[in-house]
Amino acid sequence: MNTGDILTVVRKEWLEFRDQLLRLKRGGLSAVIVLLMLGIVTPLQMGPLWISSPLMLAYWPLLSSGMVSTLIADAFAGERERHTLETLLATRLSDTSILLGKILAAILYGLLFTFANIIVGVITLSIAHFGEGLQVPSPTQLGFMFLLVTLACSTLAGVGVFISLKAATVRQAQQTLGILMMVLFIGPVLFIQFLDSEGRQSLAGRLSSLGTAPLVAWVSALLFTASLVLILMAMARFKRGKLTLD
Amino acid sequence: MTTLAIEARDLVRDFGPIRALDHLSFEVPAGIVFGFLGPNGAGKTTAIRTFLGLVEPTSGSARVFGFDTRREGDRVRERAGALLEHHGLYERLTAEQNLDFAGRVWRMPVLDRRSRIRELLDQFGLWDRRYEAVGKWSRGMKQKLAVARAVFHRPPLVFLDEPTAGLDPVASAALRDDLASLATGQGVTVFLTTHNLVEAERLCDLVGVIRRGQLAALGPPASLRPGDSAYVRVTGTGLDADMAQRAASLPGILEATAADGALEVKLAEGARPAELVALLVQHGVAIDEVRRARQTLEEAFLELVSDDAAGSRPEGRR
Repeated sequence: MNTGDILTVVRKEWLEFRDQLLRLKRGGLSAVIVLLMLGIVTPLQMGPLWISSPLMLAYWPLLSSGMVSTLIADAFAGERERHTLETLLATRLSDTSILLGKILAAILYGLLFTFANIIVGVITLSIAHFGEGLQVPSPTQLGFMFLLVTLACSTLAGVGVFISLKAATVRQAQQTLGILMMVLFIGPVLFIQFLDSEGRQSLAGRLSSLGTAPLVAWVSALLFTASLVLILMAMARFKRGKLTLD
Repeated sequence: MTTLAIEARDLVRDFGPIRALDHLSFEVPAGIVFGFLGPNGAGKTTAIRTFLGLVEPTSGSARVFGFDTRREGDRVRERAGALLEHHGLYERLTAEQNLDFAGRVWRMPVLDRRSRIRELLDQFGLWDRRYEAVGKWSRGMKQKLAVARAVFHRPPLVFLDEPTAGLDPVASAALRDDLASLATGQGVTVFLTTHNLVEAERLCDLVGVIRRGQLAALGPPASLRPGDSAYVRVTGTGLDADMAQRAASLPGILEATAADGALEVKLAEGARPAELVALLVQHGVAIDEVRRARQTLEEAFLELVSDDAAGSRPEGRR
């Protein structure tokens, strides 16, 4: 493993992502729509809560990991489908450099996605609430947000590697990851729906008594462990000799 | 002592019940153009994958520049360039970006990368189109760029899986010249597979024929063909199937067939056509011409792989 090699792979992945974005096709167009929805429409609907609500600490990690799932499928299943993976494996790059480069590129994309939306959202809110000062999240809130986004993207990237290596096509990998994301989005909502009013109050009480910082610490520790295990497992799986090259 | 670029020793590779390489043993000296010929499914691609350390042999061993491909695959890949079964270009990237990526992979300094991009794109006539995404290009242009990428970092060994596939005759001839100069001028070992036997005959110093994972023949192209007098073609009047049968009964004649008013005869090593001519005249054949035919490499190849020529293996290419 070599940092320079990892960055070489990151750069290549970014050139491919950028091309998709600039062409405004498929991923590109949907990214623009998402930016309009999340960076303009949602802040206008929610108002200053868009910045201060603790719910945003779950909102951004979920959304950014959704974007990462698309890219990670393309980076692995897509590269195999387009018959470029074997040529990449025939170079001097180590298995680990290729794997980590692709994962890092996807995580950076998730962070950029969050950053771009927050910038657009802050501008939108500040214009909408002109005269009330700049509407920006607190440094703590921002720190928590980017920590959770990084860890959520890493975890999903780890899962994505396995799904993408097993999937026959990019579409299949993206569909499987899409189902997983739906479960992650809808699962907590359904869980709360199944609770009676007493249970909901109890859950809300426990979460609020825990406080934001310890809750973020617990979730971060959980996500960190999960992403570490998944990435180590992916490193064991992503070996030239084990990859199907047909 | 000749330095060996590749040594295969009793190499076996199984894919489930299918044996793709079957006790394959041969050597490729460094600095030559080696042609690996064989029908589809013969094991050519598996052999290349094994030499590059992408596939581990089931048994036996392969060494590239002395490095064991199983244990030291990374050291092999550091010294090799490859154009595999698919061109492997990033179609969303431009030609320049594809080559620049190859240069970065091999840690070439930026100035060297730039000059090499210019040199190779000029050489292949692609410089004016360097900013185009290669996905829009014709197959031939992609193939040229893929060859450029394989040799970009000046490796001492280049694996080329059918490099001239999709190229027009002019581009093929130019590429052949380039490959020949790589070997003669720069000492690069070129390991290429091709279905174009004329190409193999013109370009290769050494040819290996693989059939069902086994080496069927190995030697310079000329050595794979029988001597110049092995085939005789007689044209004239009265050359029918009955005459072919009579001819076949003569000593020194291995095979005789009549077709389109001509008689095609395969002679044993050292046999001469005089007795055949005498026999034909004796039976009233009016001979117009007797011509010794030189067996081409293609004919020799078809003879070597005659069982496979009837139908490739059902599992497809290996």
